[in-house]
Amino acid sequence: MAEVRVEAQRGYARELLRNRKFLIGTSIFLALLAVAVAGSLFVDPVQRRTGSFPVRLPPGPGAPLGTDSLGRSIAIQMSEAVPNSLQVGLIAAFLGTLIGALIGFVSGYFGGAVDAVLRILIDVFLSVPSLVFLILIASLVRGVGVQTMALIIGAFAWPSPARQVRAQVLSLKERAFVQIARLSGMSGLEIIFRELMPHMLQWLGANFVNAFISAVLAESGLSLLGLGPQREMTLGMMIYWALSYSAILQNLWWWWLTPILALMCLFLSLYMIHLGFDEASNPRLHSQV
Amino acid sequence: MIAYLKYLSERFVIFVATIFISITTVFFVPRLTPGNPLSAVFSNLAGVGGSLNAPQLIEEYNRLFGLDRSLWEQYVSFLRELVRGNLGYSIGSFPSHVSDMLRSAIPWTIGLLTVTTLISWVLGSLIGAVVGWRGGKSRFVQVLVSVALVLYTIPYYILAIILVFLFAFYWRIFPLSGAYSVGLRPGLSLDFALDVLRHAALPALSMIVVSLGWWFLSMRSLITSLKGEDYILQAEAKGLSERRILWGYAFRNALLPQATGLAISLGHIVGGALITEVIFAYPGLGWLIYNSIKGLDFPVIQGGVLLIVFSVALANFAIDMVYPLIDPRIRYERTGRG
Repeated sequence: MAEVRVEAQRGYARELLRNRKFLIGTSIFLALLAVAVAGSLFVDPVQRRTGSFPVRLPPGPGAPLGTDSLGRSIAIQMSEAVPNSLQVGLIAAFLGTLIGALIGFVSGYFGGAVDAVLRILIDVFLSVPSLVFLILIASLVRGVGVQTMALIIGAFAWPSPARQVRAQVLSLKERAFVQIARLSGMSGLEIIFRELMPHMLQWLGANFVNAFISAVLAESGLSLLGLGPQREMTLGMMIYWALSYSAILQNLWWWWLTPILALMCLFLSLYMIHLGFDEASNPRLHSQV
Repeated sequence: MIAYLKYLSERFVIFVATIFISITTVFFVPRLTPGNPLSAVFSNLAGVGGSLNAPQLIEEYNRLFGLDRSLWEQYVSFLRELVRGNLGYSIGSFPSHVSDMLRSAIPWTIGLLTVTTLISWVLGSLIGAVVGWRGGKSRFVQVLVSVALVLYTIPYYILAIILVFLFAFYWRIFPLSGAYSVGLRPGLSLDFALDVLRHAALPALSMIVVSLGWWFLSMRSLITSLKGEDYILQAEAKGLSERRILWGYAFRNALLPQATGLAISLGHIVGGALITEVIFAYPGLGWLIYNSIKGLDFPVIQGGVLLIVFSVALANFAIDMVYPLIDPRIRYERTGRG
């Protein structure tokens, strides 16, 4: 049994590494990450302060991506914003997928009244725009940092993974190997972790990427509304500052265009990784899209 | 019919649960943050220069939410005031009622949202159906799919910012912000209507273009997957015209999951619309909430959140109710019986 499973996962990994979308997406993502990490290694934190550079410089030799109205270099802001935004995505996606997977497993595996209640809960939180709850909480917890923000976003990122995992568990739990495990006296939790979890890893991968996308989206949305981490830089906060200093009207295009392009690259790369996961776990999709 | 009623009652339970859970969340979240439940209200009073009426306001809030009583009694009184439509007073513009402020903002949001969502859903579904039915991997289709994919992955506000730059700043075709020109009196005149349309053009365009990509992609893949179904093959065998098979058979069946897709993504659409309003300073709920966040006006934020949740839940329930009507199987069952 175990060997078959390992074999299947190896095949999955091979499929994934051969997938063009996955590879392109991962390359863009890694390139973005590398530039950001390299930037943050070589940047002196003192240079992040306002007034470190002449104001409103267009991209040129002094500042490769120009400077803003407060005398901050856009390139240096990016070196802080990209890692922070990725951090929000990572923490929130991890938390959301974890909570979602647990709820989905419990709901799908135990069924009955537990399932009925959890299903309603999942449906409710799926239909309500989570952004409004985030607005409510973030406006009460003022002055959040990057990590707090990630935790708040993650706490509302579970419904969609929960629904997917529940559906998967429902289809898996009637399979022979689960029946055998049950007959051999394994407890419910043991079955969930030892028998079902390995089968779900591929699904959780795609879900994780999805949650990552939504989290970065939520971060930039909240930041644009003025609820972002005011003392730290994220891609959303960069757009927020650019808009509040009317960068568009002052024709400081490098200020607003840089974070927007970075966000677009990030979303596109994540979406391609997601498509890659989908196609690798379900090869029939390959011919369709 | 019994199946229909069972289905409806199930959806109704979800609807009621949504309202109930959201209200409860909105009630408890401020009380879980440390300090006085309305500490946000009190501590922010001084900062907004509204301190003139502060004692009155604090007294009013104490009475309204019964802060001297037990949590349970507070909750009941919160619910009772909600049922009456009383959402309290704004802090930033005391003594305005929150409900009045919401009432003047909501028509703009609903107008923008309904029109753009309908246009993009219908248009995207139609184009997706035609492209999916034709199939093939021509250069044109490939480009169309990639463009749709890129549009689908970027959030509304990114496109909104680009549109503002191009059409309002660079070419100056459309106004930069607002819902109508300053100095123009809102009324039922042609001038005003045209002015409103001109102001709504860019926000609407950014919302339509982004969601169009998604509806196109989803309808295209639905139609593609339906092509091999038995009833399509049978219709072909009967010698029905291509057009009839596409619109009468394939499209009608694809409409069901497409409508479900609309119901599921309604929350996301609304969230995106709120932020788009901020970029265009469009005076709907998003703009109101944005300004309340800036002015530390928690009651207005809370009222806005409740109103949005309620509207989304209601719209979802409405889609759920219409859903069986477009399902050919349920229609068949009903005529079979009646």
